[in-house]
Order: sequence, then C-alpha cells, then structure tokens
Amino acid sequence: MFTSNSTRQNSLLVSLKIKLSKLLLQPTFLIGVILVIILSYLVIAPIVSIFSNSVSLTMMDAMLSGGKDGEFTYKYVDRVFTSSISEKIFWIPLKNSLTVSFFATLIALTLGLILASLVTSTNIFGRKYLGFLLIIPYMLPSQAMATAWLTMFKNRKISGPQGMLESFGITPPDWLAYGPLPISICMALSYFPFAFLLFSSALGKIDIQLEEVASTFGAKTKAIWLKIILPLLIPTTMSVLLLTVARTLGTFATPYILGTPAKYTLLSTSLYSSVRSNDSGVVAVIAIVLSLIGVMLLLVDIWVVRKWQRFVTVGGKGIKRQPSKLGIFRMPTTFFAWVIFLIAALGPFIVLALSTLMREPGNFSFSNFGLAYWTGVNVPGMDQPGIFTSPEVITALKNSFLIAGSASIICGILGLLIGYAVVRLPGTLISSFLRQISFLPYLMPGLAFAAAYLSLFAISRGPIPALYGSISLLILVMVVTYLPYASRSGISAMMQVGPEPEEAGMVLGAGFWRRIISILAPLQKSALIIAIILPFITGMKELSLVVMLVTPGTELLTTQSIRFLDFGYTQLANATILIIGVVVMISVLILNRVTKTNLASGLGG
Amino acid sequence: MSEIKLKELIKNFGGNSIAVDNLSEVFPDGEFVCLLGPSGCGKTTTLRMIAGLETPDSGEILHGDKIFFSSKTGELVKTENRNLGLMFQSYALWPHMTVYKNIIFGLDMQKKTSEEKEKRYLELEKLFHLENFRDRYPSELSGGQQQRVALARMLAIKPSLLLLDEPLSNLDSSLRLEMRSELKRLHQSIGCTIIFVTHDQMEAMTLATLIAVMNNGKIEQIDKPMEIYNNPKSLFVAKFVGSPQMNIINTDKDKELALCLSNKLNIQKNSVKNFGVRPESIKMVKNNEGDINAIIETIQPTGADWIIGLNIFNKSLFLISSDHPIAKENESVGVIFKSEGCHSFDSQDLRIHKN
Ligand SMILES: Nc1ncnc2c1ncn2[C@@H]1O[C@H](COP(=O)(O)OP(=O)(O)OP(=O)(O)O)[C@@H](O)[C@H]1O
Ligand SMILES: [Mg+2]
Repeated sequence: MFTSNSTRQNSLLVSLKIKLSKLLLQPTFLIGVILVIILSYLVIAPIVSIFSNSVSLTMMDAMLSGGKDGEFTYKYVDRVFTSSISEKIFWIPLKNSLTVSFFATLIALTLGLILASLVTSTNIFGRKYLGFLLIIPYMLPSQAMATAWLTMFKNRKISGPQGMLESFGITPPDWLAYGPLPISICMALSYFPFAFLLFSSALGKIDIQLEEVASTFGAKTKAIWLKIILPLLIPTTMSVLLLTVARTLGTFATPYILGTPAKYTLLSTSLYSSVRSNDSGVVAVIAIVLSLIGVMLLLVDIWVVRKWQRFVTVGGKGIKRQPSKLGIFRMPTTFFAWVIFLIAALGPFIVLALSTLMREPGNFSFSNFGLAYWTGVNVPGMDQPGIFTSPEVITALKNSFLIAGSASIICGILGLLIGYAVVRLPGTLISSFLRQISFLPYLMPGLAFAAAYLSLFAISRGPIPALYGSISLLILVMVVTYLPYASRSGISAMMQVGPEPEEAGMVLGAGFWRRIISILAPLQKSALIIAIILPFITGMKELSLVVMLVTPGTELLTTQSIRFLDFGYTQLANATILIIGVVVMISVLILNRVTKTNLASGLGG
Repeated sequence: MSEIKLKELIKNFGGNSIAVDNLSEVFPDGEFVCLLGPSGCGKTTTLRMIAGLETPDSGEILHGDKIFFSSKTGELVKTENRNLGLMFQSYALWPHMTVYKNIIFGLDMQKKTSEEKEKRYLELEKLFHLENFRDRYPSELSGGQQQRVALARMLAIKPSLLLLDEPLSNLDSSLRLEMRSELKRLHQSIGCTIIFVTHDQMEAMTLATLIAVMNNGKIEQIDKPMEIYNNPKSLFVAKFVGSPQMNIINTDKDKELALCLSNKLNIQKNSVKNFGVRPESIKMVKNNEGDINAIIETIQPTGADWIIGLNIFNKSLFLISSDHPIAKENESVGVIFKSEGCHSFDSQDLRIHKN
C-alpha cells in the first residue's frame, strides 16, 4: 500500500520534471503566457469597462440626481433608446447612418466592380496604370475627400474662406454642399478602391479554363460574363458589401466635416458629441450598439462565405484572361475610368493644393498665387502662422510620426510574436486563445474602442497609471486596434516558414535565442517590414480612433487638420492633409521598393 | 558503444490512433538501419523523438550509455546537446545563408576557430563535390546540389549518429541512384550509425545493413535485407518487401490453388490462412506438365524481365522471369511453384516455419 502510493507520487514528480524541462527548452511557452497576460488586459479590460459603464451611474449624475457613484442603473440605456432626446442622439443618427451607408456602399460596390472588370479583363486604354492609380484614394485620409469637397462646394452657411464655386459667382445649394448626398459620395469615393481590389483579385483567381470551356460551347463574351463570371463573383460581392458597410458606419471624418454644418448627425458623430459632453454612460451604450452591428455584419459575412463555399474555384493556373476587345465602347469606358481617377484621386489633391496656394479662392490671376499659407508671411485675414512655422503643425507632425511609428513597430513585432506562439504551440489553449483574442478588436469600430480606452485609462487602476492625455495611450490604442491585422499576417508568415529551418538549427546545436537571431529573424525580415509599414500607413491617416483621445499637446496631423477646420482655417487644414497624403505615398513607395510586394495584397485587409 | 536503444516508447498525438506504439528496439552501433514502412506508420515520429524534436509520452531513449530521454527518471536532453545529424526531407537549408554559411553553422555553434572551420569546409567541399558553390545561395542550386549541401551541413559537426528522413524522395531517378551509392560510400568511410527513413523498399534493400519494417507504430521485424526478403516474419513484411508484390493466396477463397500449394509444401492446410508466393518462384512449363494449369492474362516486358499475369481458377497471380515467355496471351500453360519462395501464414498473419 505504502509503496504504491510513493511510486505514484514519484511518477507525478517525474512527469512534472519532464514538463518543466520541456518548458525551459522551449521558451515559446513562456512567450505565449506573457502575451496572453498582456493581451487579456489590453483587449478584454476595455470591453468589460465599456459594458460596466453602460449600466453604472457616473459620479456627475450621482451628484445631480442623488444615488451612489457606480450604482447599477438603466438610466443610460433609457436615455439612448426611449428618452425625449433619444430621437436626437440615437434614432435619427441611426437612420441617417444606415441611409448614408446604403448609398455609399451601393456606389462603391458598383464602381469597384465595373472598374475591376474593365481593368482586369478589357483592352481599356492605360489599364496598366489604372490598376495602381485607382487605389490612390485609399491612401488618402478620409477627410481629404471631404475637405476637398467643402473647399469646392462650400457656401455662405458656414464661416471661413469662400468656396471655389462661390468665388466664381455660383452659389451651390445646401443639399449639394452638406448632408447626406456629399457624405455618401465622398465615402463611396474613399472606399471604392477596397471593392476594386477585392474584385480584381477575385477575377484574377477565376480559372480561365471555366470560361474557355464555355466558349467551346459557343458562348460569346457577354454570355460568359452573365452566366459564369458574375455568378462566380457573388461571394466576393457579399463580402465587399458587408465590409464596406462596416467601414462606412465607423467613419468619422466625412460626416463630421460635411454633416455638421447641416446638423446632419450620424452614429459616429453623435458618439463624438456625447464624448465631448462627458456623457460616458451614453457613450458606452452607443459604442456597444456600434460594436454589435459590427459583430452582426461579421457573422453574416462568415455565414455567407460558408454558404457560398462551393463557389470557391480551386486551382486557378494564374493564366491571365485575354483582354476582351471593347470595340466602339473602348473610348467611352476609358473616359469613364479616367474620370473616376480624376474625381477620386487627382481631384482632391489638386483642389487641396490649389486652395493652399491661392490667397483668395477663385482668383486665378498670377499674382494671387503664392506660398503665404505655407510660410506664414502675408496671410490675408488670419492671425495664424503658416504651416512651416506653426508650432501646432510641427508638434502634430512629430506626434504623428512618434505615435504611428512606435505603434507600428510594436504592432509588427507583437504580430510576429503572436504568430510564433500560435504556430509553435499548436493544439494548446494558449494558441487558440491568442488567435481569438488578437482578433477581437476587429469587431469593435475604432470609435467604440477609443471610447472604451477613454473610460479605462481616465483614472489610474492598480499598477496601471492614468494614461489619459499621454502619448502612450494613443500608441496603446493604435497597437491594439491594428492587432488583428498584425497577428493575422504574423501567423501566416510563420506558417509559411514552417518549423524545419529552426529544427535544423536545433540539431546543429543552436539555442533558442541563437535560432531567433540567426535563422528566424532574417527569414522574416520582409514580413516584418510589411508588418510595420502597413500599420504605419493606416496610423498616419487614422482619425476616428484618436479624435476623442487627443488633448492639446498630443494632437496628430489628422486631428490637427480637424481643429483647423473647426476654427475655419480651411487652407491650413488642407495643407495638413496634403502633408499626410505625401507621407503616406512615400511610405507606400518605400514599401514597394523594399519588399517588392504588391500594395494591393497588403491593403486588401 | 553508441548504439541507439528505444525502450517501450509511446507517442500519441491525441488522435484515435497511436503514432508510435510501445516500441522497443536496439539499433546497433555502426549499422545502416532503414526504417521502412507505409505512409503514416510512425517512421518520422520515431526519428524526431530520437532527435529530440518530439517528446515521447513515455519510454526511454538511450544513445550508448547516455540517456536522451526517460519517463522513469524525468531526464530530457535538448536537441541542441544530442550531437547528432538530422537531414530533413525538404533539406531545410537556410535560404538567407550562403552554402559556406550553411555548412559551417554547426561549427559556429561550437565556437570553432576560423582555421578549423575553413579546414573542415574544404574537406567537405571535396567530399561532396561542392567546389565553386561556396558563395551561392541555396535557391541558386539544383536539387541534387542542395541535397549534398544538406548532407555536408549535417556532417560538419562529425555527429556520432545520422538521422535521415526520406532524403532522396525529392530527386529524379538517376540522381537518386547516384546519391544512393554516395550514401553507401559515406557510411563505409565514416562508419557511424545511420538511421534512414524511407517508404521505398528498393531503396531500403540496396542501402541498408539492417531493415526495420514498421507498421502501425510498431517494428514488425528487424533483420538483414536478404533475411527480411527470404524469411519474413509476418504477412505484412512479406507483402511490403519485394516488387512485384508477393502473391497472396487465401485458403478460403482460392481453395484449389491452396490445396495445390499445401500438397507441394507438404503442410497441413487447416493451419494456414494465407499462402504467399514470390513472383520469381513461379515457373512456366508446358501445359499439363506443372503442378497446376494456368491461363496467361497479360505479358509486360520491363526490358530485362517479363512480368506475366496468370489466371488460375479465377485467381490472378504475377510471375517474373528473365526467360522469354513460352506461350502467348490467353493460352494455357503449366505452372511449377519453387518452394524457396513459397510461404505460409497462420490466422495471426505470422509465418509458419517449415520444419
Ligand atoms: N504533429 C502531429 N500532430 C498530430 N498527428 C501527427 C503529427 N505528426 C504525425 N502525426 C500522426 O502520427 C502518425 C505517424 O506519422 P509519421 O509522420 O511518423 O508517419 P511516417 O511514417 O513518417 O509517414 P510518411 O511516410 O507519410 O512520412 C500519422 O498517423 C500522423 O497523422
Ligand atoms: Mg515521414
């Protein structure tokens, strides 16, 4: 009896010893555990805090209405859904958001599909260049389109310099200048490249043998498109649809710039005003609604993808479709594609640039041109220094680089680490937990996430200091928001390399760190560069995520441009946006040069 | 000395089948052992456990008197410290390092001086005909060259044990032949123990000094190649080794043929479940002059030999012969079974020994 007991104890000890030495020889496990702890706090805590905020009484309301600070209450849920102001803060914005999203998505989808078909499959003039040029709007911050629109169509309703059309003597009507129409159009023009990319890649993946088979049965090009290609694009169409809706719902800049003058509120702008008025309970409720919509769209997307699985064409040979001859339609379609490029990409650039170069809008005489708004010398009717001399712009530029730069470096490294832990610890709880949790932020729109961080880090909790008003908070929130993309690419990069190169090192006597430094890191160099530059690009144009977290001194270029607009300094705002555009374009060029990767594949997410 | 000893080794990946099932075996020092078996039988897993890339669920692995792993004492030696050479099916050359860097990596880990590294590199370069490739990257080499670099990289640290996982399966047939003789020469000149995984029985027969036939996570038989071929312990081993495959005659289904064989081999028919007849042990003679008559179904010339498909009472058999067939397709011939190549297996599929 006694012996059997002691052997059992002994064998327990032995198996523990094996487990321990396995752990020590495999620091992967340790890395995994550390990642789990960090991510749990950064991802789950904000979500918990926002749920708790939505049902607990704030200190302010506790003082006003009696009751205890933090007490359970339905007050905010009622306020959003049933109170007398619910119309104003929730129901009308919801209706507006849905309307705008519907039209914007419809236009973006149509444009994307038509242009992708033209560029990938026809002999339209300049198709080689269009493939790249049509993606440019995607690289511009979303307020570029909106401010360009405003610069063009603004009327006397709001202060600041005249709109361009107005200075020619044409007064654009309100419905053209502000509200749903311009918001829908601007969003559509900002987001159609996304549809264009996805459709192009889907068209490239369709096995052309499917089409060739049809043509041996005598099908003409038109019939092939109607009967084969378009039906095969249905799953892509559904994905594009849902993802574009999700994006438009989360967009802040466009409705803020073009909706505010007409008092046209969307959910995103309504959330923002609640933040500004410190109504954290309402903020939480609206943020939850936005997230729920996001989750719902994602679930539908997953369901659609699964349902249409049988449409997935396997094993395309990568042979390019012969471009079809367009005949008499060649000129009109070419014209159409280039006009879209002009309106969506070149147009905003020209308008923004012109507005910063002309002292008075609409006056095209030579003497009216100059660098006044850039250098700050002889600025008419403005008490502001120029872009090059403005302390705000310089601070914002520094902050933008600092924040987007550090966030993207952290994000890139974190993404690869997560990839490493997930791929090297297959079948463990850690692996699946890391995979799931790093994906969670994807479900929350940036605005909702920022709201959560705002409430989480407003005061210090335990060992974590109050970060509100600090640069680190902005970096942190950016890292976490971009994590889904970073970890996804990290996982796929690690999958591609496989365990063998490392195992070969192990056999030859290389320890863990040696393997990481001499084998893994060099192999993942280009993956790492991509994993850093992509979030950097997104971070440079990020607005909705940071707009409610910035404080004076931590402004970014994007938020600074909004401040300028708020004060009516349109030219300074435009110049700031141009700077962002240029930085982003240069980053994209570096990315292309360094990694020789296709921009399209990278931005597709 | 430095033999490899596996004791009651078990590895289960969590599926319903066990990858390596209570394996106990000794691979003696200096042998060229081939682990032979069908896909999924646990060859790679066994090799990876010896290398330390996979930890067994229980059991022991010993190299000489050094304990690599023991679930009894909880000992576990890291791969890095086992001083063995492992070659992967995919070679796993590091694409970001030149041939030189790849090969001396192991020496770097041992903190060798640059003279020592240079000296060893030159030796290996000569041994594997890698002159002129020093500064090339793996992607600039042909498959055969890559493989030689992988071999050189593994041998640079003079391991006392070489583990090779289907190293030849990515090569075309002529290169494979060349590399086979290269490996054989290598084994003779270095004299260390080699464990070589393959599912190609020809490769195993030609290379190995010992073949271990694996099935379902167990080693069914370990023996010299000809011993495996001539005296298979089980039906599985008999079927797996030899090409064309051994003819299997089930005593229930093919009664007439079974009766003929049991008479010929002078064995009690009821104790036998299957007879096995090697294709080269069947000889064709004139009609009615053999043990039994057969119809020729197919005649396939392979160049040196003929593979002939026979039909005896609706059972198809293959024979292989270097003589020109004495009759044409669909004609009837007599057949003689030579007893050296005829085996009988009991209901447990074990071979019944002749007295
Ligand atoms: N990492 C793993 N996770 C789960 N199951 C595994 C793993 N590696 C191997 N197996 C399973 O263990 C069994 C033995 O696999 P192993 O790779 O050793 O086979 P093998 O004999 O090398 O086959 P092959 O000739 O195809 O290479 C198989 O059933 C396989 O599916
Ligand atoms: Mg294998």
